[in-house]
Amino acid sequence: MTLLSVRGVTKRYGGLVAVNNVSFDVAAGELVGLIGPNGSGKTTLLNILSGLADPDAGEILLDGKPCQGLTPEKLAHRGMMRMFQLTRVFRRMNVIDNLLVAGRALGLKPGEALDRARSLISELRLDAVAALDAGQLSGGQMKLLEFGVCFMVPPRIALLDEPFAAVHPTMKEIMGGFIRSRHENGQTFLLVSHDMPVVVELCPRAICMNAGAVVIDAPTRAVLADARVIEAYLGGQAA
Amino acid sequence: MTTQSPPPSRASAQLSNTKTTVEFRVALAAMAIVALLPLGVGNAYWLGVLIVSMYFAILAGGWNLLAGYAGQFSLAPATFAMIGAYTTGLLNHYYGVPPLLGIVAAIVVSGLVGLLLGRAVLRLAGPYLALTTLSFAEIMRLVAANSIDITRGDLGLGVAGLLDSRVGWYYLFLGALTVLLVLFYLLLRSKAGLFLQAIRDDEVAARRAGVDVVFWKTAAFALSAAASGFAGALYAHFAELVTPELGLIAQTGLILSMVVIGGMGTLAGPIIAAFLVYVLSEWLRDVGGYQLVVFAALVVIFARFFREGLWGLAMAAVRRWRQA
Amino acid sequence: MSGIDVDLAVNGLITGLFYALMAIGLSLIFGILKIVNFAHGEFYMVGAYAYTLIALALGVPVWVALPLAFVVGAALGWLTERTLMRPLYAGYTSWGLMRDEYAVIVTFGLSLFLINLVDKVIGPYAYRGPPLVETSRIVLGPVLISGHRLLAAGIAIAVIAITAALIKWSFWGQQIRAVSQNRLGASLAGIDTAKASAIVFMLSGGLAAFAGALLSPVINASPDVGVFPAIKSYIIVVLGGMGSVPGAIIASLALGVIESFGAVYLSYQYRDAFGLILLMLFLLFRPQGLFGEKGREV
Repeated sequence: MTLLSVRGVTKRYGGLVAVNNVSFDVAAGELVGLIGPNGSGKTTLLNILSGLADPDAGEILLDGKPCQGLTPEKLAHRGMMRMFQLTRVFRRMNVIDNLLVAGRALGLKPGEALDRARSLISELRLDAVAALDAGQLSGGQMKLLEFGVCFMVPPRIALLDEPFAAVHPTMKEIMGGFIRSRHENGQTFLLVSHDMPVVVELCPRAICMNAGAVVIDAPTRAVLADARVIEAYLGGQAA
Repeated sequence: MTTQSPPPSRASAQLSNTKTTVEFRVALAAMAIVALLPLGVGNAYWLGVLIVSMYFAILAGGWNLLAGYAGQFSLAPATFAMIGAYTTGLLNHYYGVPPLLGIVAAIVVSGLVGLLLGRAVLRLAGPYLALTTLSFAEIMRLVAANSIDITRGDLGLGVAGLLDSRVGWYYLFLGALTVLLVLFYLLLRSKAGLFLQAIRDDEVAARRAGVDVVFWKTAAFALSAAASGFAGALYAHFAELVTPELGLIAQTGLILSMVVIGGMGTLAGPIIAAFLVYVLSEWLRDVGGYQLVVFAALVVIFARFFREGLWGLAMAAVRRWRQA
Repeated sequence: MSGIDVDLAVNGLITGLFYALMAIGLSLIFGILKIVNFAHGEFYMVGAYAYTLIALALGVPVWVALPLAFVVGAALGWLTERTLMRPLYAGYTSWGLMRDEYAVIVTFGLSLFLINLVDKVIGPYAYRGPPLVETSRIVLGPVLISGHRLLAAGIAIAVIAITAALIKWSFWGQQIRAVSQNRLGASLAGIDTAKASAIVFMLSGGLAAFAGALLSPVINASPDVGVFPAIKSYIIVVLGGMGSVPGAIIASLALGVIESFGAVYLSYQYRDAFGLILLMLFLLFRPQGLFGEKGREV
């Protein structure tokens, strides 16, 4: 069953075509990797999917209903949950309150929200710092907290932008385990990452973008072996 | 905070609200002390000083909701007091509307104007928001000062009184302040408190988490303005005079000082600081009168070194005392 | 164009020159730190007092007192940067106060501090500075102007031209512009960004104080005399595009002329409101100003 359908999405900034006629489908329960060199349009695509930018053309369907151009908060309620590359948490609120914001905003009752916050805190091993303000956490802990915020109410699809970048190996392990266990329980992901071993390990399927367009959309092994993908990365580095 | 996974209960549901609850209790205790003061202070002058302190406490509390909790640095709190004062003042002066009705009208009108301003500045932040609200404040004051045919300009508009007894006024203001304190407390310990602080810390992250940022920001503007308008209207009938001076930038400066000295984003700090600052400044007036210089210096020093103001310092002292 | 209109235009432009002296510094500070200095008017006030007191109380000739006022303003600007602006260079300040809030509170607090300090130390009464020349009125065709005002306008033009040239061509001017465009990039390129900020604050304080000194024979310095000129410079900086020096100069002249004509043809009472309304409209609908290209930060 198709959960997310991206159809001919295009976004221009002046003369630059940041996202060029991108189409793909994600089925419910899939964990799809989105790879590509810097500037290939991955983050712009995530911005469009999460409502932070409007596409110039194309259509996005979530559960068969169009959702392009909706505000981020509406999309959050529809179950499109974005995790940012540069961690965004509420720095002057404590860890529990950070989680409660998402829980209450997405319609949980107070008691229910607190139960979920507590179980997420122990799942993400943030117990020791639960009373601290988010701004006092380490970079990795903040990232884990952002995972928690995104999963207070399990989204229809989670859009993760480079979650493993510059994170301590232990934290990486916790995150990897978190993603894997949620995936086994049927959670759908779109994972943007530069970390090829992680993509190979986690994602059965990968999409590679270059210069705003989809180069290949296939099983991950096949994507990494593809000459166009190798050229995209080498070309990207040479440029 | 416990590290074992505890059986969640209703009691622990208030865990993250403990801070707000402690602040609320301390503020209530302070109100109780203020309620007893007239027994010792018979002097009409000092009762008047305390009444004006309460006027500023309401303004400080209202602006703290907007700036301290929601992070929206409006520089127009005094303007909304002026709008509230003129609403009831003009209604009373020209149409003979009784003060109590006028005060209700003032709350509604200033709340509506706050709502419109909030909608207008929705996409502005930081220095842009500060400048826009400052301009709004100056335009409103210029209009009030120059519409001489209607407002009598700087001469001021005579307004009917409401109570004959100064002690009566004292308890009326105290009642108003306490009601607002309770309202703010209930608001802040509900999900609204979470959402406002989330918007303050990171608007994009708040939207991502599903917070209706447009609604809550506008609501914060409207509520804060309504509280200021309420204070202004009460003050109009207390002073029996409304002038454009109520909306001077210097008044906003005083409100800002109280909030920063008391502790931004704390429920009790700004309200208690309003009393401290105003009473001290009246008291020290006889001894040299450097009080405003000292308070302004304190604003800068607190902003630079103790963001949580006197409240934060007091809490740190309590923690240290408990550990010892 | 009738004689009155020429008179209005010339006098408006002259007022605009004084506005420009104020606004350039505010714009530079916005450019380099992305903050509005709400104590800017107090630099102006301090300059007016410095000139007046140095000239009258110490009996120093006006031509020495004038540059000294600049020096006093520059020293105040330097002190402000040193003591209060440093935390802004780190994104989130260590105690968790965000930089926009901090900047508003601390500059607003500084403004209150300086106003009340002068009120206490020197007193609330207005001081009138000595004019540079005693000629009370000069008639140039339809234009009626006092000798001091004409001379002050000439000096203002020279100072504005020198400042603009320094920013465009001097070594530190180029450094300042680099930091304004990209603070991180400039620091990576080896530019001392803290020093650039200090220079901007000195220049900004000096120029505002100089404006106050030049106008002190007209304005009657009192502790809160800086409030209105500061508001004018906020308007100008928004109209000219926040951070743009040429924009600030053009917008200053434009505002001077608009107010001059508006006061006669629209409403004298509301002459101070025109600019404020423009400011609000610009921030709400065209935050990049007339000439700026940068979008607002949300």
